[in-house]
Amino acid sequence: MDADRATRLIETVLRCYPARWRHRHGEEAAELAALLMRDGTPAGSVAWSYLAGAAREWLTPRPGRHLTAVACALLVAACSLGVSAGLLASAAPARAASTSQARGRAHCRPGSPGPVPGVTPATGRPQVIIWEAGHGRSC
Amino acid sequence: MAVSRRDGGVGQDVLRRVGEASALILISLADGPKHGYALIQDIKELAGVELGPGTLYGALDRLERLGLIDPLPTEDRRHPYRITAPGAAALRVHLDSLERVSAAGRLRLRLGGI
Repeated sequence: MDADRATRLIETVLRCYPARWRHRHGEEAAELAALLMRDGTPAGSVAWSYLAGAAREWLTPRPGRHLTAVACALLVAACSLGVSAGLLASAAPARAASTSQARGRAHCRPGSPGPVPGVTPATGRPQVIIWEAGHGRSC
Repeated sequence: MAVSRRDGGVGQDVLRRVGEASALILISLADGPKHGYALIQDIKELAGVELGPGTLYGALDRLERLGLIDPLPTEDRRHPYRITAPGAAALRVHLDSLERVSAAGRLRLRLGGI
């Protein structure tokens, strides 16, 4: 990475810090990054350290920062829920298809301890294995 | 910041809770004020640990909030820091604690014949 790009990267990462932090440490932090890179520290490593520091800075509770912390927590929770809902939605049709196939197949034996040898899942669909109270049923 | 005393006259080790980086910074500042770059270089020499700049500033802010270090007037664009009296006391307590643990560990290794 050339010096200009590295400098721009560091400047971008330093903008992730709260304004109060930038006002206090911003100039020194940019100079420190330049010195470390001059000494051979990779720009990516310096940028990553500052990025992690910025995340910690935002997440560290301080007076007046309670709402921000709550907003971050809510954002993370909402993202997790969204991802979970998306995964469930994409898995549901496959599960329904597998269940309907199971009803019509003679080799679905209750009590079988695991997947039936030789049975391959439907093409393009994940194999669904249902375990019910210790009795495996593979379809 | 007062370094409180627990039962048996053993001071509470506040540095145990703030992490290794903070302890290394206090050790580095024990022989005189330093700014960020000098701290990173000194810690690399004395402990073989490369502190990331993000970690450094986080630890400096934490130590300052705890009253263990003080910022000095800015030189050029650099902020030097110095260790405070409570910082020196906290560092002594921490180093004593490490020495006790170290001695106990060595003794157990000897007793275990390892």
